[in-house]
Amino acid sequence: MAKTYDYLFKLLLIGDSGVGKTCVLFRFSEDAFNTTFISTIGIDFKIRTIDLDGKKIKLQIWDTAGQERFRTITTAYYRGAMGIMLVYDITNEKSFENIKNWIRNIEENASADVEKMLLGNKCELEEKRQVSRERGEQLAIEYGIKFIETSAKASIRVEEAFFTLARDIKTKMEKKLKEASNPPKGGHQLRASEPQKKPTSWLSRCTLL
Amino acid sequence: MDNELPSEFDLIVVGTGLTESIISAAASRIGKSVLHIDSNDYYGEQWASFNFKSLHNCTFSNNIKKHTENSSDLLNFNNDSFNIRNFSAEWHVPEKIGIYCKNDDSKNRQIESVINDSLKLEENNENSVFLREEILNNSRKFNIDLMPKLHFARGDFIELLISSNIARYAEYKSVSRILTWLNNQIEAVPCSRSDVFANNKVSVIEKRILMKLLSLVDKNDNTTGKYTILWGNLQWYNSYFLDSKDKTFLEFLKSKKLTTNLIHFVLYAISQGTDSTSCIDGMANTKRFLNSLGRFGKTPFLFSMYGSGETTQAFCRLSAVFGGIFALNQPIAGLKLDNNRVTSLLNGSQEIKAEHFVLNIEKAPVELVNNLKVTDYISRAVLITNRSIMPSEQEHLTLLIYPPEDKGNSVTLIEMGHLTGTCPQNFYLVHLITKQQSNPKDDFKHVVANLFESNYTHLQVDGKPNMLWACYFSIPNTSDLKLNDNDHLNVHLCDGPDLDLDYDYTVKKAKDIFQRIYPDIEFLPRAPDPDEIIFGEEEQSKLNDVCISETPPK
Ligand SMILES: Nc1nc2c(ncn2[C@@H]2O[C@H](COP(=O)(O)OP(=O)(O)O)[C@@H](O)[C@H]2O)c(=O)[nH]1
Ligand SMILES: [Mg+2]
Repeated sequence: MAKTYDYLFKLLLIGDSGVGKTCVLFRFSEDAFNTTFISTIGIDFKIRTIDLDGKKIKLQIWDTAGQERFRTITTAYYRGAMGIMLVYDITNEKSFENIKNWIRNIEENASADVEKMLLGNKCELEEKRQVSRERGEQLAIEYGIKFIETSAKASIRVEEAFFTLARDIKTKMEKKLKEASNPPKGGHQLRASEPQKKPTSWLSRCTLL
Repeated sequence: MDNELPSEFDLIVVGTGLTESIISAAASRIGKSVLHIDSNDYYGEQWASFNFKSLHNCTFSNNIKKHTENSSDLLNFNNDSFNIRNFSAEWHVPEKIGIYCKNDDSKNRQIESVINDSLKLEENNENSVFLREEILNNSRKFNIDLMPKLHFARGDFIELLISSNIARYAEYKSVSRILTWLNNQIEAVPCSRSDVFANNKVSVIEKRILMKLLSLVDKNDNTTGKYTILWGNLQWYNSYFLDSKDKTFLEFLKSKKLTTNLIHFVLYAISQGTDSTSCIDGMANTKRFLNSLGRFGKTPFLFSMYGSGETTQAFCRLSAVFGGIFALNQPIAGLKLDNNRVTSLLNGSQEIKAEHFVLNIEKAPVELVNNLKVTDYISRAVLITNRSIMPSEQEHLTLLIYPPEDKGNSVTLIEMGHLTGTCPQNFYLVHLITKQQSNPKDDFKHVVANLFESNYTHLQVDGKPNMLWACYFSIPNTSDLKLNDNDHLNVHLCDGPDLDLDYDYTVKKAKDIFQRIYPDIEFLPRAPDPDEIIFGEEEQSKLNDVCISETPPK
């Protein structure tokens, strides 16, 4: 099968339960906002291929599967992640305060050079706002990451957020490609389409004995 | 964030070991409501992987406080009789021994040389670090399995991962060579046809005998089970097996005129047997080995990257994707009885009802395991070393089978480098596993003495690798206990890790328990890929008939 993309990025969504991570993912991947199905079908990951400066970039974006609710995200979730969207809800002070804890969690589990970005979601709910834009900006500056306010519901700046994160990863990656690095690699991804060939017979190509 | 757990479920799973996690995934998968809960703040129980510091400081208590209210209708989880014991950890390098790192980019450090004189080190070199510090600072890059496992490429476990689509949550690496200890040195075990040819320790005549034997086992190829192998091919059976069925595998191999070296390769390394292994088992195991060749790599085995602990988490992830609720680090106390029937879980002060309860053995209430006593233990050691036991240009993932010595048991050794994601660059992680005879340290003494340099005088640049750090512990082997012989039919106990190299037996046990709870319902049918889930009217019809198009990245 021909490769239909130049790069594949694994991205994660992290943040308190209820801030709108799954909706943000749906807005970006399906351009839809539908709250009824989300709680019934667990979302694993979604895929969208985007064009960025002439390159096709396949984004594979993983959702927490609800395991953030009692802080039971598996260490395996973080493996191989290249970018993380940290999401809070601008109408929920607590979700903003918890960003610090999520960053600590990321530092413990994700690769050290993972690209991060802060999202203040539900930004169309101006009248219920508890976290000012300035505080969001300030926190992002503190951690040296980018910040955007989004709304999955009103479709505000969700695209922009993912494109920004993807571009930053691409830049970092292209820079790294020049330097040689040596991370763990070469694992098998097992799948049903793996050639199910018969075991190499001890005799099949035997010419000598 | 809402922190209160719902008060009723179809199934409550207590403990996050592999068996329970498989059951949890299977139940969520068919739409049951599942609460998966643990007192530990990490996944995996005795199947977990730890980073360096958490293993070094581990106490292996099950983190459950005895409930003070001594009520007769509570089956208390507080029971330490199945915990890991005899844990000890020790450094084998002085605290202030330094290494000089050539490259000061901390990620790509090359350990260039060792400076014995720590004073010199401190004065002159900003690129030097102390060896112990190097390990401690890289603690997070270690993923140290309590019980490392390998998987036959065509074994039941790998087939389940693929058929259920859980494989997308993990990555695997092939074991790249199999070694053994023969005539007081390390030897490579020829395990494919080309290996046999390439092996210059095996004479031409031996090659012929070996190929004949292996092709015999292979010929009989539409049978797989342990015993069906006997009946698969009557002619084969008659001519080669009839007189052997009561023999040991060793006697059989001798009767086929295998030389001592060949017998060693086939009996100990390929079939992983002992002198008393029966001919039937020996043949079945040899066949199983050969069957798994040629699928993913040079040997029949796969290892889960970042450690075996990832495997349990993969099943937990699937359970969560299908609605399972996960809660770790919980104040679970026990099971509540109502008229002698278990009805709910007591978590802190909350009572949570369920139809069925699946418990990890470490959480087994004393009342349910009264008459069970652990008699078997698995001896374990983990070593951190500075080089491979058999250095080569490429980094290997190595399985070494050390044959039984002096009436002892054979020892399984797995050596992994940084490409497996289980240890930092410039170090190797070595796991030792055997059936316990006296205690872990003594059980491995001969292996450690023969393969490693444990007394620090200087860092070896050739010869045996230095053992820099070691830990020892015993895991209770609960796999042969009759766990579910009690009156509470809606409580199901899951055992801990066994001595098998792989997980196939565990898959079987999980499936058995699942089918006891939910008879006649499919066990882990294939989960749809994300892009097969189309939202809207066609939702239902789309879930079943599709081919795989997207898979996660490397
Ligand atoms: N007003 C508003 N509500 C949103 C927005 N995004 C999500 N929600 C709502 O927030 C709730 C939680 O969303 P969900 O995506 O499940 O959050 P998650 O737990 O972080 O995945 C749902 O009721 C959504 O309808 C948004 O941008 N604006
Ligand atoms: Mg969600």
